[in-house]
Amino acid sequence: MKKPGSRTAYILGKLARYCIAISLILTINFFLPRMMPGDPVINLLGEDARNANHFDKNVIAELHKYYGLDKPLHIQYINYLFSIKDNNLGYSIHKKLSVAELIGESFYWTLALLLPSTILGALMALIFGSISGFRQGQLGDISLSIIFVLIFTCPCFLFAILTISIFGFRLGWFPLSGFSSGPSSGLNPLFDIIWHLTLPVIVLSLANAAYIFFIVRNMIAQTMSEYFIFVAKSKGISERAIIFNHVLRNVMPPFISIIALELGFMVSGALIVEIVFSLNGMGTLIYDAMITRDFPVIQGVFLIVTIFVLAANFFADLLYGIADPRIGDAASSINM
Amino acid sequence: MQRAASICEVLKNMEIIERKWFRSLNIGRFTEQIPFSPIKTIGISILIALVFIAIAAPYIAPHDPEKTGIPYQSPSTDHFLGTNDLGQDIFSELLYASRTSLVVGFLAAIISIVIGVSVGLMAGYYRGWVGELLMGMTDVFLLIPGLPLMIILAAYLSPSMWNIIPVIGLLWWCSTARVVHSRVLQVREMQFIESTRALGYSDSYILHKHVLANTKEVIYAKFSLAVASAMLAEASLSFLGLGDPLNISWGEMIHFAFTRGGFANDMWWWYLPPGLMICITVLAFVLITMESRKESRLVELI
Repeated sequence: MKKPGSRTAYILGKLARYCIAISLILTINFFLPRMMPGDPVINLLGEDARNANHFDKNVIAELHKYYGLDKPLHIQYINYLFSIKDNNLGYSIHKKLSVAELIGESFYWTLALLLPSTILGALMALIFGSISGFRQGQLGDISLSIIFVLIFTCPCFLFAILTISIFGFRLGWFPLSGFSSGPSSGLNPLFDIIWHLTLPVIVLSLANAAYIFFIVRNMIAQTMSEYFIFVAKSKGISERAIIFNHVLRNVMPPFISIIALELGFMVSGALIVEIVFSLNGMGTLIYDAMITRDFPVIQGVFLIVTIFVLAANFFADLLYGIADPRIGDAASSINM
Repeated sequence: MQRAASICEVLKNMEIIERKWFRSLNIGRFTEQIPFSPIKTIGISILIALVFIAIAAPYIAPHDPEKTGIPYQSPSTDHFLGTNDLGQDIFSELLYASRTSLVVGFLAAIISIVIGVSVGLMAGYYRGWVGELLMGMTDVFLLIPGLPLMIILAAYLSPSMWNIIPVIGLLWWCSTARVVHSRVLQVREMQFIESTRALGYSDSYILHKHVLANTKEVIYAKFSLAVASAMLAEASLSFLGLGDPLNISWGEMIHFAFTRGGFANDMWWWYLPPGLMICITVLAFVLITMESRKESRLVELI
């Protein structure tokens, strides 16, 4: 069955898709401001500039020249690609800083929120999903399912608002906002950051777990009803050995690829959670930019977030292609 | 909705599961009666109540939601949920907001389902390079994280309901396409499709009369979940301040409560009711798709 080099074909096929996705993103990012009605420079300068209407024609022409907007579209596009390569994402109109600099500062804070939440959410989903899948139809499964359906239906921001108002505001166990209480509080900085991140991480990881929980639960239930499990049981293998050696081992590879796919969703959640908890990450950056209509910042954040998600997914796909021996077969079944 | 992709990946990689699928399919699902399910009934009743509220909003609402009065009032017999920063009655606003939220959810879901089903049907039925191309396109769209793309599109377009609907609809069809595609691949292998083709019926006839009819169940379930997802997406966009300022939705009410002091002053009667309404509506749509059978198929549809 297995064609020679089918794994290479699989990775190349994936690579082609990622390349198309990235070029699509770059193209959207390039054309969106240029397709809008009106002059892009005036759009860039914002609502005030348009209303004031006090701009000299020469100034506008000079700005056009400065941004290279007087050149034909395809030249503009090539210039744009080169500027992206040089890490030049333009300048924020309101903060008067380079967008790359702004993003560089907040990117690590978003990662500090994202990484623990992804790991914690995945662990919770795996543990609770397994419990639920193995005890399908029983009380534990039903109550876990109800809890996770409720979390699933609750929009991320509402969940964050509720936790902050209960645990931060009423009970006062956790700080209301920010990453740290500042150097004057005398707390150990690392401990301080962890204390500030506890609530956001819990909210984000629960929201994430709610999605993966059902996938894990059904994967396990489906694996449990397979013949090889039946055979293993009839051979007299202990329940414990079946769970760990037969069921979980089969569930693990797809589980890992699901987490990678969830990352795009996690990033969206992280942006929203950051806004509610006023954490100075990419979410707050894009939110502030939206209020002030600071388009270069919105575009820069969009670009970086999307490329980050694509890169992480590609990495996971590579790992998956190496880890799963069946991948050659899967690739040929996709091509059928 | 991105997760449907992941599940399809899983299913594709697990050949064994696929074989089981075929077995269960050959029973001929379309002759089966839909069993009475209490969960579904609850979902449908909630939905009917919500639609009734949305239609009858002008008759139920005690106040005009646009009329301003004394701001920041606490709940009283006159104003069940108090008033907002402009002195508008929050309860009336809540009733009227159900219109925007439901309309956006339904219309966006219709767009995404129409695109998703056409792509899935075409790709599944014609296979070959058409299928490759369509599903490759779906994969590409699926890779792009939804919310950031929606944010940038909504930020550039003017903040109006009629811009938000296509933005959500055009971005969220991918998982529908994947689910319909895998289902069509199974249906088209069935014996009776082959017989129909042998009898000389045209492709479009087979697609309409047989393939679509056998994919119906999946499409209905997917539509229900698409409405839920679209409403959640709309709520997120509105919460970020990208909503329609003329047609207030539940998400936007929370946005105003959050930015205009409702949250800071702990006015829970301002931000909690619209949040609960979103939860209840999404829950209703999810409940409708739940099956009473032991192996719940919620997973592959989300």
